[in-house]
Order: sequence, then structure tokens, then C-alpha cells
Amino acid sequence: MTLLSVQNLTVQAGEVPLVKGISFDIQKGEWLAIIGQSGSGKSVTASAIGRLLAPNLKARGKALYNGKDMLRFGAKEMRRLRGTSISYIFQDYQGSFTPFHTIGRHFDEFLKAHFKLSKAQRREMAEQTLESVGLQPEMYTRYPFQLSGGQLQRSSIALALLTKPDLVIADEPTAALDSISAFKVLRLLADLQQETGCAMLFITHDLRHVRKYADQIIVMKEGAVVEKGDKQSVLDQPQHAYTRSLMTASPSLSAASQLLKGDDTSCVYCN
Amino acid sequence: MRLLQLNDVQKSYQPGIPVLKDINFSLDRKECLGIVGESGCGKSTLARCILQLEGLDQGEILFEGTPLHNKTERDIRPYRRQLQTVMQNPASSLNPKLKIRHSLMEPFRQYGAQVSLTHFQHGSEEEMARQLMEAVELSPDLLSRYPHELSGGQKQRISIARAISLEPALVVLDEPTSSLDVLTQMSILKLLDHLRDALDLSYLFISHDLLAIQALSQKILVMKEGQIVDRFEKGDLFAHERHPYTKQLVSLFD
Repeated sequence: MTLLSVQNLTVQAGEVPLVKGISFDIQKGEWLAIIGQSGSGKSVTASAIGRLLAPNLKARGKALYNGKDMLRFGAKEMRRLRGTSISYIFQDYQGSFTPFHTIGRHFDEFLKAHFKLSKAQRREMAEQTLESVGLQPEMYTRYPFQLSGGQLQRSSIALALLTKPDLVIADEPTAALDSISAFKVLRLLADLQQETGCAMLFITHDLRHVRKYADQIIVMKEGAVVEKGDKQSVLDQPQHAYTRSLMTASPSLSAASQLLKGDDTSCVYCN
Repeated sequence: MRLLQLNDVQKSYQPGIPVLKDINFSLDRKECLGIVGESGCGKSTLARCILQLEGLDQGEILFEGTPLHNKTERDIRPYRRQLQTVMQNPASSLNPKLKIRHSLMEPFRQYGAQVSLTHFQHGSEEEMARQLMEAVELSPDLLSRYPHELSGGQKQRISIARAISLEPALVVLDEPTSSLDVLTQMSILKLLDHLRDALDLSYLFISHDLLAIQALSQKILVMKEGQIVDRFEKGDLFAHERHPYTKQLVSLFD
């Protein structure tokens, strides 16, 4: 069943097109990865779907969530959807938390806004959720600066999954972490997705983060989709030269020794 | 004689909380030694100790047999041109108010007259700048730009050009590719590999990215909680005698 259907989505900054009429569907419980370099329009796409665009950017087209166009929702309808059905995980985990509030207060505010629970119930639910992402309940009383990047990102995953959403939009959730913490957080996200059955819109520039968990892949370049399909067919038979260069840049570990050998043209896209 | 040797290095910032414990390793000329570990494992502190930006609590750091540690700034100065670094954040390595030419040529202005170069042609400042830009595959037009006008990858290439400008013996690379996207990462790794060969450099390459470490280094050390827990030749990464932590890293990355 189609959960989200994006149809001919265009995002413009004044006259400059950032996203050029892209379309894709996400099925219920599916992990869709959008990959591309900085500036390819992948984050703008995610923001447009979540109605989080900066005021100078204008989105056109459709984003049908269970058949209803989210781009035409009023503030109230959007808020209801955000509380219960759609949640976000951002790259900048520091920016996701208010520095002078404890981690616990973030959970409490969130639960107060969306559920009718007693204080004790809220606390219990928050601590349970912290444990479910591999953090100790003691983190409840800590401030964001007392946590490491990986711990903070785990906390924001816990917050995002608190309302059991149907769709999680994760915009480079691991890009600001060291790659070891990144892989651990990724594994956690995949486990939780299995557990809750939510669909995932996962934005990344690193193909290594896609190989294991994604079902579908979209490759974006300069605001357009250059390739899309199920993971196996995109990885096994990449049609576009850009996809191939992304793949060479992130080989498996056993092929790493060959990474720097040979002449290739991938540097055309660099700098 | 070893280019760089560390014997029983210990370092802590707060009493009772060691950041580096019993660090022993050596590095030969023209070699790239990779150090991999998570955030907080002490690998950047190790880099700072080797670069003499931090003092040691115990142990010694020998550069071609001469102790470097706990020397005065004046005694260190002759070694600084032999010991260069490229750091993670290219944006904060370059002064935003200075043109690229100015930042790039600073080491040359400081030391240039005293240094005899074997790979670059000793020439005027302008001539040197042109050679360096060519070495890192950038257009000389960028010399008159400001850092904010360059991409992350271009800025990192400038940092590399500056680090190699005096033909140092050792370059400490502290996460030089971590803030770049994968395609740019690969182009920077290729450049570093090429330069090591062309200029007879040695690298101490620090990263949390096992893939990058495996791509560039010949020997690899694995750090965890301030200690070296595993050491091996690049080809032995998948060998079954690897430390459990190394195996855990391999399973995460593969």
C-alpha cells in the first residue's frame, strides 16, 4: 500500500530551481534512500515533504500522504500529522535539542503535547524509550552538552519514534557522527524500523549506509532524479555514470585496497 | 633509524583520567601508518602530542632519534618544518580574512630562505605558489580568492598544499577527509597517496573511517580508550587473529 506518493515535486528559490519535478512513492514499512552529493537537492526534497522549507523556498506539485496532499494542509492538520504519523531525525543533533533543557524535559514536552498522560507515566515512558535506543535512564536528567554525539542522536531517534509514526524522515542522521558511531546508530535505526514497521525516507550521501538496509534507492543530481529502482537492481546494474562513480567512492571494505588504484573519471564530479 | 618513535607515552588532562596509556609505535620514512578509533579514543590527542601542541606526562617522542617532547618552543622550531599537519576542518584551518595566496605561502615566508627543496624548484613566492597549486591539482586563479569562495574539497587541497610546501618528512593527517562527501573524500585520498609517492613523504593518518584507513595506509593501529589494542599490516585486516574490537569494526563497516 502506498503511504506517500510524491508527484512532480518542484522547489524553487526565486527563479532558481533546486528540485526539478521529481516523483516517487514510498510503500508502507519500506526503507527508501535518497542519495546524492551536497547540493543535489535531496535535503530540500525531504524538507518540502515535511513542510519544513525556509520561507524563501516555494514547493509545487503533490505529496500525497494516504491519498491527501500534505502540501495543501493547513498548520493545524500538519501539526496533527507531525505529532502522530510523521517524525523527523536531523543531521544536526545539537540543533535538535535546546541546550538549557535536560533531555528529559524534551521528552516531557513532546509527550505532553501529544498524549494525555500523568507526570509519572510520562517519565516512565521516556525512560523506557531511552532504554530502547541503548541509553541509560539516567540520561533523563542530563543536559545535551553532557552527552556525546552518538548519544544525542540516539536520543533524537528515541524522540522521533515516541509516537510510533508511520513515516520517519531521516535527513543524514549519521553524517555528523564518526563513522563507527554512525554504523551503530544506523543498525539501531534498522532494528527499530523492523520492530515498529514504520516507513523510512532516508537521505544520505554515503552509499555504504544504503547497502544493508534500504529497499528502494533514488539517486539525485542537480535537483533531478538520475536513477531509481529497488536496491539490488540499482547496485547491481547502475545505469547512470554518476551512480557508478558514487559506488566506486564507497566500496566494500575488502575492496578498499584497490580504491586508490587506477585512473578513473570520477574526479570530474569532485572539488 | 626510525623517522618517528613513541615509547611508553602517557597523557592525561585531569589527574586519574588517562587519555593516552602506554603508547608505543614507530614509523619509517615513506610509510603511511593509519590509526583508527572512535571519537574520544585519544587519537587526536596523540596527534597533538606528536605535533608538540601538547606536552607529555611520561614517555618519549623521538624524531630521527632526537627527543621532541617537552622542549622549548625555540628548540622545537627547526623541527616544525619537518612535521606538518592537515586537520579535519578545512574551514577553520584557513584565516577567513586572508586570501588563499597569503595563507598558502605562510610557511614558505617563514622558512623558505633556509630550506633546500628537492622536489619543488626553489623560486620566487609566486613561482612556489604556482607549483604548489599544480601539485594539488587546483587552478592558480584560486590564489586570489578568499576561503569562503572555495568548496570544502578545494579548501582541504589548499591545506594539503600548505602542509607539503616545505617538503616535510612527516605529515600528520588528522581526519583530513571526515568533513567531505564521499566523492571528494576519494579524490583527496588519491591526491594524498600520489603526493606521498612523489615527494617521499611519511604519513600518520588518523581517522575513524576504517575504509579510508584501509585504502591509504600500509600499517594499521587500532585505538580504544587511550590504548593501542591491535596492530597489523593492511593485508591482515580480515585475519582471524585480530582483536575482537577490530573484528567488531570490520563487521560494522562491511
